[in-house]
Amino acid sequence: MSKVVRTVAPFGPQHPVLPEPIQLKITCEDEKVVDVVPAIGYCHRGIEKACELNDFPKNIYICERICGICSCIHGCSYCEVIERLFGVEIPPRAKYLRVIWSEMSRIHSHLLWLGLLADAFGLESMFMQFWRIREKILDAMELTTGQRVTQSVSIIGGVRRDIDSEQQKKCIDIVREVKKETEELGKVLMNDYTVKARTVGKGILTREQAITLGCAGPTLRGSDVAEDCRMQGYQAYGELGFEPIVEKDGDSYARAVVRLRETLQSCDLILEAFSKIPEGEISIKVKGNPPANEAVFRAEQPRGEVFYYAKGNGTRNLERLKVRTPTFANIPALLVMLPGCELADVPVIVLSIDPCISCTER
Amino acid sequence: MPKMLPTIVRNLFGGPATRLYPVEVRKPFERTRGHIVFDDEKCTLCGGCARRCPAAAIEIDKEKKELIFYPGRCIICEVCAENCPRGAITVKEEWRKPFYEVPVEVHHPKGKKEKAS
Ligand code: SF4
Ligand code: SF4
Repeated sequence: MSKVVRTVAPFGPQHPVLPEPIQLKITCEDEKVVDVVPAIGYCHRGIEKACELNDFPKNIYICERICGICSCIHGCSYCEVIERLFGVEIPPRAKYLRVIWSEMSRIHSHLLWLGLLADAFGLESMFMQFWRIREKILDAMELTTGQRVTQSVSIIGGVRRDIDSEQQKKCIDIVREVKKETEELGKVLMNDYTVKARTVGKGILTREQAITLGCAGPTLRGSDVAEDCRMQGYQAYGELGFEPIVEKDGDSYARAVVRLRETLQSCDLILEAFSKIPEGEISIKVKGNPPANEAVFRAEQPRGEVFYYAKGNGTRNLERLKVRTPTFANIPALLVMLPGCELADVPVIVLSIDPCISCTER
Repeated sequence: MPKMLPTIVRNLFGGPATRLYPVEVRKPFERTRGHIVFDDEKCTLCGGCARRCPAAAIEIDKEKKELIFYPGRCIICEVCAENCPRGAITVKEEWRKPFYEVPVEVHHPKGKKEKAS
């Protein structure tokens, strides 16, 4: 009998499936993964420190740049935490507008991810089809906010732009179209033989493990835990009848289904928000400096829960700003999912948590 | 096969989903934040924009009476335009073309401060 040889294969920091740098040192026995050690720290930018040195209204634009994909939600969350620090309430219309833009970001993020998933299998044309649909949502964002990716639409005390009735009509058309096309394409992707062969039963995370490791977002909901920050009913979610989407199996396939269904759900939420949106002011004036106090805010991003903590000291600068992003919570899960799988399955499993490393390291 | 037929026909006559950029450029939407322009006639060099700019893209030299704008740093957030008391900054829809050298715009504002009456 020959001895089984252990080899250590570095996965990343530069790898075709990874848009961002993270390294996983994968110990293999033959083709089987037995151990994984992650290494992060390739794109730390010192954003939290920069936020302490800047005037607090300028931080919105820094926080938006924590992540390129969920920038809108980062901006909203920062504004929200500062509003809590001041103890002010924004007008209802502004809350609805924030929800609409946040959900648009979610659609664009999930469609981007579904495209990348297809790309990881080598389904190139599927990848392009998903990104073609995503382009429509980006157009809707540019139409309403003025920018495709970094919307810069939240300010402390509300939002900067309103959606007039003409834009609203166009957005509703776009969202309906996106929903129809995503449904069609999603059916093709999720019923495909190759996709099932590569994802069903791969990278299993059980319910208990998901809870113990403190996972977040679709990774958690793919393992049969109904936990979503939007259930708290922040902004206008309380009035929209939000229900979290849960899948039972805890494998890569379940996580993909959660994201696909959430895309469709977000379309519904936008349509519902448009039908319920009240008239009125879109912002209020917030004067003075943040008081010497603390505030926290939790919001649901496409990848899971983001946590904002701010501490003021009565000056223009914040004493401390802390952001915890969802991928940071999901990396430990990766270390449980990977051992036992084949080396060839590693890219798809890594992708299944939707890693966003720039967010994680800030 | 019959199920695929409508898709085939649609793709045959539908045309491409992409554009032949830069030959074919999509018209930007109304109120897209593309780039900002200064109106030297209106600006009074009050410095409000330089103080508020999150990217430090505007510098004011009171002695030389100059407003220096670094377009490469500007993130087109529109904060300066919203807050300028004279309306001297406007946001245009077209995006800037890529540049090879770091551009610096030096403005010599001529706006007069109106006397408070
Ligand atoms: S552009 Fe406007 S805000 Fe800036 S210095 Fe001139 S007048 Fe003041
Ligand atoms: S648009 Fe924003 S970044 Fe650009 S100069 Fe004005 S305030 Fe600065």
